[in-house]
Amino acid sequence: MGSSNEHILEIRNLVKDFPGVRAVNDVSFNIKKNTVHCLVGENGAGKSTLIKILTGAYQRTEGTILLRGEEYSARNPKEARDNGIATLFQELNVVDQLTVEENLTLGLEDTKFGFIRSSTKIKRMVETLKDIEPSIHPKHRVSRLSVAKKQIVEIAKAAASEAEIIIMDEPTASLSEKEINRLFTIIRELRKKNVTVIYISHRLDEIMELGDMVTVMRDGKHIATKPVSEVKDRSELIHMMIGKTVFEEYVPRETSSMEPLLTAKGISNSKLKDLSFHVNKGEIIGFYGLVGSGKTELASALYGIDRYSGEFVFKGKPLKGGPSDAIASGIALVPEERRTQGIFPNLTIRMNIPVMNMKHITKRNIIRDHLDRKTAKEYITKLNIVTDTTEKELSKLSGGNQQKVVFSKCLFADSDLLILDEPTRGVDVGAKSEIYSIVRHLSEQGTSIIVFSSELQEILYSCDRIYLLFDGVLKAEIKNGPDVDTAKIIHIATGGM
Amino acid sequence: MTVLTTDQEGMKQIKHVSDSKGTISNLTFIIFAMVGVLVIVFTIASMIVPRFFDLATMSNLLVQQSELIIIGIGVTFIVITGRLDLSVGGVVAMAGVLSAYFAQANTRAEFSLSSGLGLPYWLAVVLTLICCMGIGAVNALFIVKFKIASIIVTLGGMSLARGIAMIIARGAQRNVGLPPEFGFFGRFSIIGTINLAVCFMIVLVLIALFVEKKTVFGRKLFLIGSNKTAADLSGIKTDRQIAQLYIISSFLAGVTGILMASKFCSGNSSIAGGYEFDALVITVLGGTSIHGGFGSVICAVIGAFILGILSTSVNMLGYPPASQLLVRGFVIVIAILAQRYALNKRNV
Repeated sequence: MGSSNEHILEIRNLVKDFPGVRAVNDVSFNIKKNTVHCLVGENGAGKSTLIKILTGAYQRTEGTILLRGEEYSARNPKEARDNGIATLFQELNVVDQLTVEENLTLGLEDTKFGFIRSSTKIKRMVETLKDIEPSIHPKHRVSRLSVAKKQIVEIAKAAASEAEIIIMDEPTASLSEKEINRLFTIIRELRKKNVTVIYISHRLDEIMELGDMVTVMRDGKHIATKPVSEVKDRSELIHMMIGKTVFEEYVPRETSSMEPLLTAKGISNSKLKDLSFHVNKGEIIGFYGLVGSGKTELASALYGIDRYSGEFVFKGKPLKGGPSDAIASGIALVPEERRTQGIFPNLTIRMNIPVMNMKHITKRNIIRDHLDRKTAKEYITKLNIVTDTTEKELSKLSGGNQQKVVFSKCLFADSDLLILDEPTRGVDVGAKSEIYSIVRHLSEQGTSIIVFSSELQEILYSCDRIYLLFDGVLKAEIKNGPDVDTAKIIHIATGGM
Repeated sequence: MTVLTTDQEGMKQIKHVSDSKGTISNLTFIIFAMVGVLVIVFTIASMIVPRFFDLATMSNLLVQQSELIIIGIGVTFIVITGRLDLSVGGVVAMAGVLSAYFAQANTRAEFSLSSGLGLPYWLAVVLTLICCMGIGAVNALFIVKFKIASIIVTLGGMSLARGIAMIIARGAQRNVGLPPEFGFFGRFSIIGTINLAVCFMIVLVLIALFVEKKTVFGRKLFLIGSNKTAADLSGIKTDRQIAQLYIISSFLAGVTGILMASKFCSGNSSIAGGYEFDALVITVLGGTSIHGGFGSVICAVIGAFILGILSTSVNMLGYPPASQLLVRGFVIVIAILAQRYALNKRNV
C-alpha cells in the first residue's frame, strides 16, 4: 500500500452481496489525489454498486474504505457529502422550476425563523459558477438551460461545497461534442483546484483523452488499475472489459440499385426545415448531428408523434396518423429515452416484448399463454438477453439488456422500417456491438433501418449512407466507406460548410 | 453473424431460460400477505367480538361489502392505469334516484317527489345506466381530451352526479309510487340475506379477473399504468382505453346504485356517502399500487373484507362511529406501510 497522503481513497477487499449475486467481489484499488480516475466496465460489472457504496446509497457487505487515510463509511448520501464526496448522477438532480441560484443552494439554505436569508454561501456558489461558466445567469430558471448547462450547474454546486472528490456517472451521455469539450476543460480546471474526479463512462475515447488513471472492472471483480498513458489504445481497454473480443468493421454496401421504401418530401415544422430524403429497401441510413440538430424531431415526425408539413411516402402510400398507424403500416421506433419512452419498468420481460404486436399472441383478443411465453423465450435467446427467467421486471435488468428488450419489442412488430433514435445510449460495449450485429442482420433480411445518432463512431459502424443534419437543415448526403472524411463530417455537423 | 463473442456471453446463452420466477411474483406475494392479514383480522374479531362468528353477521358482511366490491372493480382497473375515480359514490346515489324517478308512477301530483315518469322498470334501469355512463363519459372527456388530472376531474364528477341526485330527489328521497318490480332485485335472495348483489359481485369479479389476466384489454391496463408514454409509442390507443375505463366504472357504480335503491325500495340522494373513498381504500388496502402498473381485482375483494370486518367489529363492540373511523384509519396506514416494507425487503 502506498502512503496515505498520496491516496485520497483506498478501497480494500470490498464486497457487496445482493440476494443471489455478488455485485462487488473482493475489489481493492487506490485513487490518487488530484487525478481524473476513470472507472470502466460493462453494465453489470459492479461500477455503479461500488459508487453507491462510496456515496452511502448502499451499505457494503465486507471490506474497508480509507478516506484520507481514515476509515470511511457513509450511511446515506448526506454523510458522503459531509465527508467531501459529491456525485453527479446520470439523472440530473436539478429542479427545473427553480432558478440557477436556488438550485445551487438547495439543501444548504441558511434560514432564520424558517425564512431563507441571502448569505455569503450563496455568493460563493454564484462566484464558483461564474468561474466555471460565465454564460449561465444565476437568476434564470433551470428549465431554460440545456442538459449540458444543467450539468455545469451541478458541477459548480459540488465544487463550491468544497467537495474533494466528485463522482461523475456518464456525464456525457446526452451532450454534443462541443459541450463535451467544454466539460473536459472544466474537469481539468477542477483537477488543478485540488479536486479528485472519479469518472465513469462507456465512451472509451473520452477516457483516453481525459483520464489520468483507469480502473477496469468485470463481473464484480477488479481487473486492473493503471495510468492511462500506459494503455495502448481503446481496444486494449475493451479487451480488459470483456475478455476476448473480435470487433468486425462494417463494410458499407452499394445501395443505389435497391428499390425505394420511404421518400420524404419537404418535411418542415418548427424544428425542421424542408427535409427531403429517401430510404431504400434493406438499406441502413444514418442521420448524424449534434443534440438539437433536429434528429429526434425528424424521428417523431416520421413516427406520427409530431405534426409536420410535407409528405412521407412509405411503400407508395403517404403516411398519416399516429404511432399506431405507423406500426400498422410497418414502421417501428426504438425511442431515444429508454427509461421514459421505451420500457415498462415494473412489468416483466414477458409482458414487455409483445406490446407492439399483440395480435400475434392473441386469439379474439384473448392472450394465448403459451404464445406469450414462447415469444419471450424466443427473443431472450435470439437477442441474448441476460436473465434466468421471462418473469423478471425490466427495472431489474441492466441498461444494455433493457435496450435489447426494446429491440425485441420492435422486432416482434415485424416491421419493414426500423427507426433507431440513439440506439446505444448508456449501453455497454458488449451490448453495443451485439446491437450493431442485430441491425446488420435485419438489413440483410430486407428490413430498412434509419439510425439517428450523435455518435459518429456509431454511424460509421453501421450505416450505408449518411445524412448530416445541422439546426434542422439537411446539410449533406455522404456514402459511407473506408475513405470517408470524418473531419469533414464533424466540420459540417457542427455548422461549418 | 456475430460481431462479438465472449466466453461468458456464450455460457449465458446456453443457460436455460425459465418461464417462472422460481418464486412467486410480487403480486402473488402481496395477495398472499393480505389474505394472511384477512385471516388474522377475522380470527381476532371472532374471538373478541361477541356474536361476530355467526351466520347472520357473516352474510350481512358479505352483502354490504358486495356493493362496495362491484364499485371497486372499476376503481381497481382505473388505479392500475395510474389514475383515480372519485365520482363513483355520487354515481351510486344518482343511479338510485334516477331509477326511482324513471319508474315512479306519473300521478301529475303537485308534490313532485311522489310523481315520476312512470316508465316500465326495465326501461328505467336501462336509462339510468345510460345516464351513469354519461357521467363516466364526461370524466373521460376532461381527462383524455383536455388532459386534466383525474383526481380533479372526478371530484367534479362526484359533485355533478350527487348534485343531480339531490335536485331530482329534492335533497331527500323518492320512495312513493314505485312499481312492485322495483324491489325485485333487493328481495331476491338465495339463502338468508344473500341477495342479487352478492351473485352479481361474484360473477363480475370472475369476469374482471379473466379480463385482467387473459385479455389484451387487461394487459393494456398494466402497460398504461407502468409507462403511458411507452404505451403510446408502442401503438396502444391509451386515450381510448382510459375513456372506456371511466365509462365502465360509472356503469358499475350505476349497477350498484340500482341494486341498493331496489333493496331499500327508495331512491335516496344521500346514500353511499364516502363510497368513492371506501372504494379507493379497499383497492389500495388489498395491495393495488396507487402509482399504477401493479394490482388486481382480487386485492379489492380482500381489502373490502378486511375493512368490513373492522367496521362491523367496532360497531358490534358498541363503540361510537367516531372511534370506528379512528380504528379504520390506523389499520389502513399500518397495512399499507407493511405492504411497502414487505415488498422492499423482497426486492433488495
